[in-house]
Parts: sequence; structure tokens; C-alpha cells
Amino acid sequence: MNASPLSARIHNGILAISAFIILVVFPTLNAMGIIEDFTLNLWGKYLCYGILAVSIDLLWGYTGLLCLGQALFFSLGGYMMGMHLMLMIGKLGQYKSALPDFMVFLGHSTLPTFWVPFQSFPFAFSMIFLIPGLMALVFGYLAFRSRIKGVYFSILTQALTYGASLMFFRNDMLMGGNNGFTDFRTLLGANLRIASTQRLLYISTAILLIIVVMLCKWLTRSRFGLVQRAIRDSENRVLFSGYSTANFKLFIFVVSAVIAALAGALYVPQVGIINPSEMTPEKSLEAVVWVALGGRGSLVGPVLGAISVNALKSWATREYPDLWLLFLGTSFVLVVMFMPTGMIGLPSQLQALAKRMKRKSTEP
Amino acid sequence: MWLIPLTHTHAATPSEIIASAIVEQSTSKQRDLVISLKGNPAPEVVILLEKWKAGEIFLYQDPEGNQIPVYLTGKASGDGTLATSRVSTGAALISPDGNPVRLDPSAEEFVDTSSGLRRAMKEVSDLAAFANPDFKKRLRAIEDSAIGQNPEKIPSLETLRSTEKNPLVLRAIDQAIAIINLKSNDPKLRTEACKKLGELNSIAAMDPLKTLAAQSAKSSDRITEKAALGAMNRIESHISTINIFGTLFRGLSLGSVLLVVAIGLAITFGLMGIINMAHGEFIAIGAYTTYLMQHFLGAGLDLSPFGKSLSIPGLHLASASNSYFVFALPASFLVAALFGILLEWSVIRFLYRRPLESLLATWGISMVLQQLLRLIFGSNNVQVTSPNWLSGNWTINDVLFGWNRVFVIAFAAIIILMTWLVLNKTSLGLMIRAAMQNRNMAACMGIRTEHVNTMTFAFGCGLAGLAGAFLSQIGNVGPSLGQNYIVDAFMTVVVGGVGNLMGTVISALGIGLADQSLQQILRNPVIGKIVVLACIILFLQWRPAGLFVARSRSLD
Repeated sequence: MNASPLSARIHNGILAISAFIILVVFPTLNAMGIIEDFTLNLWGKYLCYGILAVSIDLLWGYTGLLCLGQALFFSLGGYMMGMHLMLMIGKLGQYKSALPDFMVFLGHSTLPTFWVPFQSFPFAFSMIFLIPGLMALVFGYLAFRSRIKGVYFSILTQALTYGASLMFFRNDMLMGGNNGFTDFRTLLGANLRIASTQRLLYISTAILLIIVVMLCKWLTRSRFGLVQRAIRDSENRVLFSGYSTANFKLFIFVVSAVIAALAGALYVPQVGIINPSEMTPEKSLEAVVWVALGGRGSLVGPVLGAISVNALKSWATREYPDLWLLFLGTSFVLVVMFMPTGMIGLPSQLQALAKRMKRKSTEP
Repeated sequence: MWLIPLTHTHAATPSEIIASAIVEQSTSKQRDLVISLKGNPAPEVVILLEKWKAGEIFLYQDPEGNQIPVYLTGKASGDGTLATSRVSTGAALISPDGNPVRLDPSAEEFVDTSSGLRRAMKEVSDLAAFANPDFKKRLRAIEDSAIGQNPEKIPSLETLRSTEKNPLVLRAIDQAIAIINLKSNDPKLRTEACKKLGELNSIAAMDPLKTLAAQSAKSSDRITEKAALGAMNRIESHISTINIFGTLFRGLSLGSVLLVVAIGLAITFGLMGIINMAHGEFIAIGAYTTYLMQHFLGAGLDLSPFGKSLSIPGLHLASASNSYFVFALPASFLVAALFGILLEWSVIRFLYRRPLESLLATWGISMVLQQLLRLIFGSNNVQVTSPNWLSGNWTINDVLFGWNRVFVIAFAAIIILMTWLVLNKTSLGLMIRAAMQNRNMAACMGIRTEHVNTMTFAFGCGLAGLAGAFLSQIGNVGPSLGQNYIVDAFMTVVVGGVGNLMGTVISALGIGLADQSLQQILRNPVIGKIVVLACIILFLQWRPAGLFVARSRSLD
């Protein structure tokens, strides 16, 4: 699945150039006023989705675990960041209260205890790692210990996400209910509503994406990655060879949950809103679509998939709102059926096809 | 007097009697006339008496000096006058010059009533409601009579008890009299009433009993307080029994809904290993087929799929609204099964042995189908009217059994039976089971496994369609109808154990009962649902393969 039609050096060269474009050229052009703020902000969103896609690929493409709970970890990270941002609004909200608006609306007069520490950014930042990580640890421990795998794992993670979204939809959860968090103003003292802050957020997202891709590249090329792929291809053999597959899977599950959470944490200040509709099983499946279309089992494919599908979506939902879902659904079905390696594997698939055609025509 | 020829020509109607009572000068005669209407079930009696009491009856003096009682109808015109109708006939009052008479209510004096007359009217209108031939309305009137605990109502209730035959109404009369007696000044009557209400398990008496207990505690009337508290205890235990039965019944019906929704999935997922994420959309297809059937047998339907207009002619059957559902059931099964065949043939057959891919591909299909439904039928919910015979209820000992809930339980039982028969008693079932147990061996024995796959998948989808026809009767029908059930359906199948119908039945009923009981205990539907999900995850720790495991020596 890792086959690449290009030689490794060209491959890496292209990667370096795209990283340079995303990280340096885009923000510079934006600072010069050539790329609009809106476009850069949109790309910041795509890159967050790219990170989410990598986290799914790490689980699905490399370990064979199709997790439908990544949207949950993504939004949990977003919620942790959102809690801090809500408290940073201070008295600038609608009700001119130190409490977040929705709490005033619900008739609260004091900040609930679990909200208090989120006033400190370091705490909120550590929670972005801890809460989704712990959640993945507990759920993964339970699931992998009882050897839940394959579609059962998918269905259970789907149920987990569903349950969590029901929970967050409730007002007495004190997490904003239906409307979630919005109306953010400052992060670490910087005004979130001006272009330069958004540019910095974009750059951090790009850096995070590059780090995540590199980390995953290193991880999947190591001995660990070998075991990981062996688990994907034949878990029982790995188990019989004396590896504790449950621990391997648990580790990768937690890592990918944390990556998704980080993406969510960067997504929220850029998009300016987080609500429970972000953590439904459908959102997870949507992200799985990006990975499948881009090409799982490669680290660039998912990023490519996330960016291209979302860019196409932004355009198509404006131009052809009715037909977009038909197109996305059909192309997804076709890719799943006939292009297991996605866009990134298309050249090699075509090459193989051409070779076969040639052989057919030369051999009588 | 103009009244006399009227009474001579034919027997006076209730309206005419009231009209004559209005113009009558002597109060005692007035009262006699009103009392003579006692027990008369005609609805206009109460309406006219109410108008009279409320001062909405006026006397119009015609040029010959006759007084004609009228009431006002319609809207006030610019000069504040309203059209008039005769009390005696309800017809519009026309003056001799041919114009309708209009009166200004503020300028005229309404016909007054004395207190004795009002009492007589009250007696008549109370009894009129009690005499309603529809026993449900009678029951309601009797239950309402206890409100206010007015002892004046007791005589008419007693009169009714002497003639009433219906045991439900008799019970209501006893209850109403006892509730009214709670306010009596006679302590003996009060304690007796308490005892009676306790025996009757009267839920309606809870509040008056509470008031009585509080009052008698204040006035240190120990005997009455004890009696009231005793009755309350008895009624409370009755209420909790009702709640338990109600919860059981609702749990059973929710379990049946889950079962109906999950049974098709148990076939495609359990027997074939295909994760059909489009299962929900097949449910929606079934529901929309029901919708189409309703309009096809009725008045027809205009649709605008893809911006083009399409009209479906209707058969205009008279009884369509009650009978369409009978036709919709097979139709929804067949339509969903046809779509199932199409899907199996075009997509699923490439995905056997690749369950994860089947999950993803069918999710893509579900996206497409949902959007198609939206483009054809619009994104709003459509209206499916339930046949009359589904919208009623039985009340047995204060526990409410909705017919549609009873129906879903019966429906689920029939579907399970049908599925079991198909799988165990037909040759198709034999082939299905053979192909599922060992595909290669079955193929070697001459079974066309591809054909069997198609039929099995179509069968599963058809069951989803049936579920949709059913769900259209208890909820909204919209393009995303199936999405609401898909997670629950998958959980049901996973908990039940894959490849086992019995497991699906038990898990569906178990989840339904657990859900409803937790809702009752936690008093919160959402938390109840979350707890159920958590329990399912923990349950799978204990039995990872569900309740019933298909034993096999093969290692996947």
C-alpha cells in the first residue's frame, strides 16, 4: 500500500516544496495582501482537517482499526480550547458578566468548579492532551482487552461518539448545550478577530501538520510501525509471535486521539465556534471519506484528500448544492470499491493497468 | 300570544321551550319550563341556557308588539350592531320590511335571570352532560363535576347512579361523590369518603385528599387525617404499580420498535457480514413508499423531483385513509427489496469478505440515497396519517395501552415469526443457512451462492422497508428518518450476537426495557440513553461476541 510511482527522492522533494508553500508562501502572500484573509482562514481549516485525517490514517491505514470516534476526540480538543476561550471573553459578552453568556442565560451566578482552572492557558493546553487521551485510554483498554476488532470496533466507537454528542447536547452538562461555544475574543492576549492573529494561528496549524506528518512517518518506518502494519495484515500471527497486540493498538489509539484533539484545539479559534454537531458519527465518517479518497496507508494521501475534498466542497456546496452529496457519495463508493489506495495510489494503479494492457496486446 | 299556536301545531323543540321560558313572566313557570328540559340530551339546551345565563339573550319587539327572544351572531359592524338569530329556531330574524334585524348589545337590555332560575339551569346543564349517550363524554362530565367539590352536584349524580348501567361510569360517579364529600362538614361522611376513594384507587382524588389531610392536621382532626393519609398511601401504591406496568409496556413496545428496525440488519450483518450503513435509508424508502401508497389510493400527489413536476394520479378510494396501510406493508417490503437487489448487484457483491469496506461503501450509498430522497420528496417531513384503527387506546386499570404500541408489539412478533419461517422452513432459508455456514461447501453442493446472496440481502432490505412502513405510523417521515435508528439498530445486533435471530430478539427487548426503566428511574431520557450505551460497552467486555455466540473452530 505504500507503493509510490515516484522515486523516494522526488517524492520527498515534492513534500518539502508543498510544506514550504503551505508554511511560508501562503502566509507571506497573505501578509502582502495577495491572498485574502478569508482564503487563508479557510486553508487553516483545511489543514486542521488534514491533521485529523492523518490521525485517522494512522489508525485505519496503518493499523487496520476503523475508528468512527475521531470526530469525538477532535471536538473534545476543541471544547477544551473553547472553555479557555470562553473564559477569556471576560465581561465583554452580551450579559457583561464574567461568566460565559450561556451560563448567565441558564441562571448560574458562579462559575462551576470544573470550569475554574480553565482560566489558565497552560491548564487548558494540558487538558487538550489529557482528556481525549484518557478517554481513548479507557475506552481502548476496554475494547482491546476484550479483543473487540474490525467492524465491532467501528460500531462501538460510533456508539461512543453518539452517546457523547447526546451528552453535550444537554444544557445541564454546562458545556453550552446545542449552541456550544462561540463569540471568542482573545487567545493569550491576542485579538482573535484581526488578520495577524489568524495568520499566526494558520502558521501554527501548518507547523503542527508538518510535525504530525513527520512524527507519523518516523513512527511508521520504525520497528514499531512494522508491528503496526503486521497487526493490520494479520493480527493473529503477530499475537502468536509473542507481541501483545492489545498494547500496541492501545498506544496507537491514544496517540491518534491526541493528534485529533490538537487539530480540534487549533480548529476552534480559527472557525470561531464549536458545538456538539461536530462530534456526531457522521463527522467521523466524513473524515474517513477524505482519507479513503486521498489514499490510506500513506501519510500525504489523507492530507491531500482532506484539503481537496473540502476545497471542492466549499465550491460545490455554493455552485451545485443539490448535486454535491450525490457526487461525493458516488465517488466515495467508487473509490472504496475500485481504488483502495485512493488518489495518491492512482498513478501506480494506472501504471499497473497499462502494463497489463500492454502484455495482453503483445501476447497473442 | 304567538307562543300558543306553535305548541299546538307540533311538540315543542327544546329551543322553543327555552324561547317560551324567556318570555314567560312568572318566575316559577319559567323555572318549571327549564326544569322540564332536565335529561334532554339535545346539545342546544346547554348552549342556549349558557347564553341566557351569560346575558347574551335579548328581546326584540316586533311592530305587532310581540316579544321575540334573540341572540347575536357574527361580527359587529361599524355602528356596533350584530346580526340576530331567533332563540326558538336559530334562524336569522327578519323584520317585516325584509331586512335582517341588527341589534347593538350595549344599547339593549339583556334578559335577566333570578338565582332560583340559575340553579334550575345549572341542574339541567349538569344532567344534560351526564345524559350524553356517548359514555366517554359522560365519563368526562362526571369526572369534571368533582372539580370544585360543590355539594350541589350530588343530587344529580345520585339521580344518574340510579339509572346508569356502565360500570366505568358507575365507578366515576362513586369517585365524584366521594371527592365532593371530602369537603363535607360531617366528619363521618368525610372518613367514609376517604375510605371509598382508597378502595377505588382514585388518582384524581390525590390532590383533594392532600388538601384534606393538611386541613385536618391544622385543625387537629386526627380521625379524618388518618383516613385521608391511609387513602393516599393506598392510592400511591396503586400509582407506582401503574408506573411499573406502564414502563414495562413502553419498554416492550420500544424493544419491538428496535427489533423491527434491527431484524433486517441482523440478516445482512449477522448472516452475510455486510455492514449496511444504508439500512436506515432502506427504512426511509419503506416509509416513503407508505406515504406514496396513502396518496395513490387517495387523492393523488404532486411531486417535483429534480425541479421537474410529476403528478401521481390517485384512485380516490373512499376508505383509503383506513385501508392504505394494508397495501403499504407489502409494497414497502417489495420496493425496499428491489432497491436491495439493485444495491447488491451493483456494489455489495464486490465487497464480501471486506466488512470494513462494505461499511464505507454503504455509507456512501446512504449519502446518495438520502440526497435523492431529499431531491424527490423535499427536505421537510411529509405527513403520513395513521388509520383510525391505530389511533386509540385501551385503559385497563388506569394503565394506558396505545393501540399503535400494541400494534408494534404484534407487528414485531409477526415479523420475527415470518423471518424464522423463511429461514427454517423454506428451501431459500435452507440455502441461506448453508451458504452462511460454509460458502465454498455450499457452492460445491450446487447452491448458487451468488443468487442466494442477492436474495438474502434483498430480504434484509425488505425487512427494513417494513420497519419503515411501521415507523411512518409512530413518528415523522423525512429523508433522515433512518439515521435516528441506525446506531441503536447496530447496537441491538451486536449485543444479540451476530448470526442469531433469538439473540437479536432478546437484546432488542432487553435494551428497550432497560432504556424505559432507566428513563423512569433517572427521570431523564437522554441520561437514560447514555447509561444504556455505557452498559452495552461494559456488557461487551463480558461477552465480546454478544449474547449468543456462533461457535466455530476457525480463526478469523
